[in-house]
Amino acid sequence: MDLLLPTIGFGLVTASILALAAVGFTLQFSVTGVVNFAFGDLMTVGAYVAWLVNTGLHWNIWVGAVAGMLFLAATSVIMNRLLLQPFIRKRTDLFGLLIVTFAFGLIVENALQAIFGPNYQSYNYSPSSSVGFLDMTFTVNQLIIIALAVIVMLLVHGLLRYTKVGKAMRAMADDPALARACGIKVARITDLAWLISGALAGLAGFVLVLNTAAFAPSTGEGFLLVIVAAAVLGGVGRPYGAMAGALIVGLVTEVSATIIPAEDKSVAAFVILILVLLLRPQGIIAAARR
Amino acid sequence: MSDAVAYYVITLLVYMGCNVMFVLGLNLQFGLANIINFSYYILVAVGGYFAGLVVLGPPQPVESGGTEYLFGWTLPWPLPVAVAGLAGAVLALLVGIIAVRRLRSDYLAVATLVVGDVAWLLTGNTTSVVNGWNGLTGIPQPLADTLNLPQLQYQWVYLGIVLGFALLSFLIMQRLTHSPFGRSLRAIRENEYTAAACGKDVFRLRMTAMVIGGAIAAVGGALFIEFIGTVQPSMWNVPETFVIFAALIVGGRGNNWGAVLGAILVPVGFLEGSRLLPQDWIDPNLIDPLRWIIIGSVLILVLYFRPQGIFPEPKRRFRKILRQLAVDEGPGRQIHRRTEELP
Repeated sequence: MDLLLPTIGFGLVTASILALAAVGFTLQFSVTGVVNFAFGDLMTVGAYVAWLVNTGLHWNIWVGAVAGMLFLAATSVIMNRLLLQPFIRKRTDLFGLLIVTFAFGLIVENALQAIFGPNYQSYNYSPSSSVGFLDMTFTVNQLIIIALAVIVMLLVHGLLRYTKVGKAMRAMADDPALARACGIKVARITDLAWLISGALAGLAGFVLVLNTAAFAPSTGEGFLLVIVAAAVLGGVGRPYGAMAGALIVGLVTEVSATIIPAEDKSVAAFVILILVLLLRPQGIIAAARR
Repeated sequence: MSDAVAYYVITLLVYMGCNVMFVLGLNLQFGLANIINFSYYILVAVGGYFAGLVVLGPPQPVESGGTEYLFGWTLPWPLPVAVAGLAGAVLALLVGIIAVRRLRSDYLAVATLVVGDVAWLLTGNTTSVVNGWNGLTGIPQPLADTLNLPQLQYQWVYLGIVLGFALLSFLIMQRLTHSPFGRSLRAIRENEYTAAACGKDVFRLRMTAMVIGGAIAAVGGALFIEFIGTVQPSMWNVPETFVIFAALIVGGRGNNWGAVLGAILVPVGFLEGSRLLPQDWIDPNLIDPLRWIIIGSVLILVLYFRPQGIFPEPKRRFRKILRQLAVDEGPGRQIHRRTEELP
């Protein structure tokens, strides 16, 4: 059991990264109704933009992180406008849109590979010191990641709960046609949802690489299923559920690594996901809808 | 035809035959029964693995340079293909427990993707079953010893076997599509509740489609693996499933001719045809990414401009029957008679 506390520490870091990604993924899904299977590859793009700013322009990595977020926020809005909206206007079904985003992710990943090659890259920064807490050891960067996740979760909560835009987003999630009829500017809110989702993808891609140190064009795609697992676990389209789902998936993967071989650790989270889908497809925290 | 060209043509045609079977199996599952199974390629893989496991000799101990795997029964051909088909059917049944459920299509996509990933991780990380990430190698080609032909002639014979199986699968699929079973599946696809209300056992019919599709995929996988002689996890992952889906969507889902055309265009044309590019014309490191970029772009364009595929599913049959009825009985009488019977 002396391994339990340190692995919970790892789990918290993984959960924080996951939460950033899963909330972005699920917020955009709830508002727009499009499952974005390119999300993982967009995360990789965020990591590459930060890397280019960091190693190409020799700027601070945090500047790179912001650049990645801005770039992806713009990319996501453009992707919605130019790629997805034409399909939505043609009334392509949910599955068709899913295939389109999947294909787009494949294109993005392979474009990265064509441009930067398949080799692993890493950021240029001085290693941060580590901090002990109970039996858990964190690097300063990991503490920053956890803090970032908490701040972003609070911001998303505030946005959804206390602002007019958030209210419009929740209305669109409940009933897009009714929301439109009530005079909500649906197109603008959709763009905003993609913008937030893109920024969070950029941030999540950056912190993922900050934590694992090295990355390649396929890094984000490999992370996609874990993000989706967290989102589905909390009930797709529920930002608060995604936060809880991220915490569960993050802790389960890291803690299970003490019992089963470490290379199988994501299997534990996936098995839970399959069980949830079979027994409780509305997600574990399916709140009663008003 | 020089030997090198002959080998190239044979390889391309064997690829084509096997991929035709893969896409036909998916057409039954996805095209007709509307089952979203993003772990489709594990059905192909299980066929390859089982064919390899039963056709190889007993595993040699690891200490003397051997590898670890199950079985090793040295079964004579065509038993390995039959075993593979059975394995595919059983695995399809297991995947079907999830994939045939009445869930939203995005949930099903996620669940089956996860099933495929779990199967992939476990296969790779466990060495004692099929030798983990290194996979099985040295799988002998069927009947090579009995026929005792020169190498090139033997390959032509093997090509004949593959094309024979592909043709057989096509005929079976055509038969199924036009049978009451195929009609029921289409009815379920168009409106599950109406079909159920008409007395169709929705779950059983869709599960049957799942299992038959799985068997066809696995037999194709077995023939493919026996041709190239090796099977390992790097050969079957999410992108491979995606290619088969792309082939079916481009060719025309729900249409067996479309499935065949898609198999020829997408996996064979794009994946294998790009090997024909002159090596000095393009950086060889770029070929692989470019190939995937092209497949992704083609799929997006087809979904936009021709979502029903190149050969759309024929839809006129019902209208013909209606017209026939109209000629036989006049337009209103049948309906009239029906209302009279009502209490």
